[in-house]
Amino acid sequence: MSDIGSYSLLLALALSVYAFVAGFISLLFQNPVAALAGGRERAASDPSFSGLLRQNSERIGETARRAGIMVFAAVFVAAAALVIAAFSNDFSIAYIFHHSNRDLPAAYKFATLWSGQEGSLVFWALLLSGYGFVLRLRYKTDPRLFAYAGVVLAAVQVFFLALINFAANPFGLLQGPMRPDGTGLNPLLQYPEMVIHPPMLYLGYVGFTVPFAFALGALIMKYPGEKWIHITRRWTMVTWGFLTIGIFLGAHWAYSVLGWGGYWGWDPVENASLMPWLVGTAFLHSVMMQEKRGMLKVWNMWLVFAAFWLAILGTFLTRSGIISSVHAFAQSSIGDWFAYFLAITFAVFVYFFLKNKNHLHSEHKLESLMSRESSFLFNNLLFVLLCFTVLWGTWFPKISELVQGNKVTVGAPFYNRVAIPVALLLLILTAIGPLLAWRKTSFESLKRNFLWPTIGAVAVMVFLMITPAAWGSPFGLRPWLDISYFYSLMAIGLSVLVALTVASEFYRGGRVISEKTGQGMFASMVQLTHRNTRRYGGYIVHFGVVVVIIGLAGAAFNQDKEKEMAYGDKMEIGPYTLVCRSYTDEEFPNYAAEWAVLDVYKNGRQIDTLTPERRFYKASQQTSTMPFIRSTLNEDLYVVYEGLNQDTGHPILKAHLNPLVMWIWLGVWIIIGGTALALVPNAPAPMRMPSARTVESRANAAPVPTAGD
Amino acid sequence: MTLGLACGLLLTLAAIYYIFSLPGKLYLGPEKTRASYLRERKDAVYENMRDLNFEYRAGKVPDADYQSLKASLQDEAAALLAEIARLEETAARKAKP
Repeated sequence: MSDIGSYSLLLALALSVYAFVAGFISLLFQNPVAALAGGRERAASDPSFSGLLRQNSERIGETARRAGIMVFAAVFVAAAALVIAAFSNDFSIAYIFHHSNRDLPAAYKFATLWSGQEGSLVFWALLLSGYGFVLRLRYKTDPRLFAYAGVVLAAVQVFFLALINFAANPFGLLQGPMRPDGTGLNPLLQYPEMVIHPPMLYLGYVGFTVPFAFALGALIMKYPGEKWIHITRRWTMVTWGFLTIGIFLGAHWAYSVLGWGGYWGWDPVENASLMPWLVGTAFLHSVMMQEKRGMLKVWNMWLVFAAFWLAILGTFLTRSGIISSVHAFAQSSIGDWFAYFLAITFAVFVYFFLKNKNHLHSEHKLESLMSRESSFLFNNLLFVLLCFTVLWGTWFPKISELVQGNKVTVGAPFYNRVAIPVALLLLILTAIGPLLAWRKTSFESLKRNFLWPTIGAVAVMVFLMITPAAWGSPFGLRPWLDISYFYSLMAIGLSVLVALTVASEFYRGGRVISEKTGQGMFASMVQLTHRNTRRYGGYIVHFGVVVVIIGLAGAAFNQDKEKEMAYGDKMEIGPYTLVCRSYTDEEFPNYAAEWAVLDVYKNGRQIDTLTPERRFYKASQQTSTMPFIRSTLNEDLYVVYEGLNQDTGHPILKAHLNPLVMWIWLGVWIIIGGTALALVPNAPAPMRMPSARTVESRANAAPVPTAGD
Repeated sequence: MTLGLACGLLLTLAAIYYIFSLPGKLYLGPEKTRASYLRERKDAVYENMRDLNFEYRAGKVPDADYQSLKASLQDEAAALLAEIARLEETAARKAKP
């Protein structure tokens, strides 16, 4: 397996180099008059010579495209060889020895592929070549643009494959005598989410290469029109969807495995995934201004580049170990490679941007502050501000170490001070944005559309304030008692406002179709959504986001308690009483476990039995907690088995009461559904365009512009 | 080792065959001209008009706003149509012997 894998990786590198060089030559000679210095006169004066050059360059370009497709086949063989080596317990390969063992369950053996440094880079290369495969198969959409994008993509592939071949080869052989068993997978990674979280996250990270390839390609070729941004937007949406799933799976994994009762700790590695997501989200909004109004072309170009660059920066953070993180599972010296690559991509992008920036002039100007355009503009500024805050907070420990000599730690309070107010402002924009018209909106229009949702949101906020706290969270919210309660109330109130504006959008649109077709309201709303999947899919994503925000707002009411519990001991937390029924231990092939059995009572009645446990993994000689989480829509009862008190022999248990957490995971499902819907092609609108005739008559009367071809 | 060598050789030969066995005629796609760019822009303006009409019917846009926005979109579409017509006329003139 080691031979096949190593050879396939070398072949993949050779093919990607060919795809880049041949593609580059092909593009250079596609416009022979511009490309040939010596033969310029001949090419210009002799059409047959020029045609021959062009024809040959196109054939070379086709071989480059095909080589790009074959890169996928070669990397796939290498990845398959690594997985087969894991399943066949081939511990002669150092990577398999360090990341697998004989008793490791099959799913985690498969996950060995992305569990360590070298394997995860192969996985990166596999996904990148997979995206490249799809891109190169779809070249007929716009052959020239796709050829440019293919060359950019090939350049990125050359970097990753060179890195794998020369600095992080996963097929290196283990030195010394052959070992009977491997050292096993990191216990923290032995959790079901870990089988799907990294692939999703990587699909998100890697995917940003494709929009970048299109953007840089369009910039280099001075692409006429906005079709490139339409293509880029769809790819970004797919990537953004994967990254969203990856981030939330990671949050769920942290919540379910790390045992500290939270899902987001502003850890550098978490931040690394958040930054491209924030910029990608900004782009998905601002791209509409370019498509609809021909505005923000420079801004969008930079957003696409920033998303890609931040994704690579994230990989650099995770791989280099330059910034300490609780879940940097793979650290080595390959950080230098990434640093050079980041510098080169930045330089290349800036060069072409400066060279061709005149091509990116805006076709319209902002006409009014009360317009859809301005809401997108503010939305973008807030997303970028948030991204910059996260970037600053992530790098500040390193910067302070370099400048002052001592590392200043940046914790959650720093991020929350900026992130919470910005998130609330974004919620306001999310509510207002869809109600504003393009170009300008009168105050009367805003009042008409905004009045009822505002009344609804204020009513909910007042209701939450006047209800008794005994009803449970989030009732009885008194914002004057604590700033976190104030933020929580605002978050819930604004979420309700967004949800009502989204509902009103569906209702108004559905009513128009219902009046026209005589269908029922629900059928009309379904038809409405199908006619404009992007807009209404987007509204569903907004609805999912507010459900997530409501879940996050619940964190203001978190409680926790820790207690050593002997048989029959009780612990009370919120409305629950936990009674220790027993505690025991057991041996399994892969690990040894000890756990407690706790009966849960609410209002004097037993409602459940919990079994939090702690595991000791034999191969890696490491321990891991497996909290027991009892989830309801109201709250999560989260119990951690912290270990035995060696003096008394009794287990120490920690219980957390986390309100509304389930809303976060529900919201993510809604976001995924909305994103998938937004990618579905629109159904044709049967409604006639009433003003087409008027436009034709105006066109006949319009003066003929003198702009050149 | 032998199996690895055979697999590697097979993969390399397959790659070389696929890359270099090109068909006689390649699909190159249409050349993008200013006229095709203007047509894309026209489609975008028409879509904006459809959106505006729909929002007006849904009661989101007051009459005065609707009339002024519609007029400006129509002006934009008219300018685009005029330039497309001019380019097509020039192209037709060039095509004549």
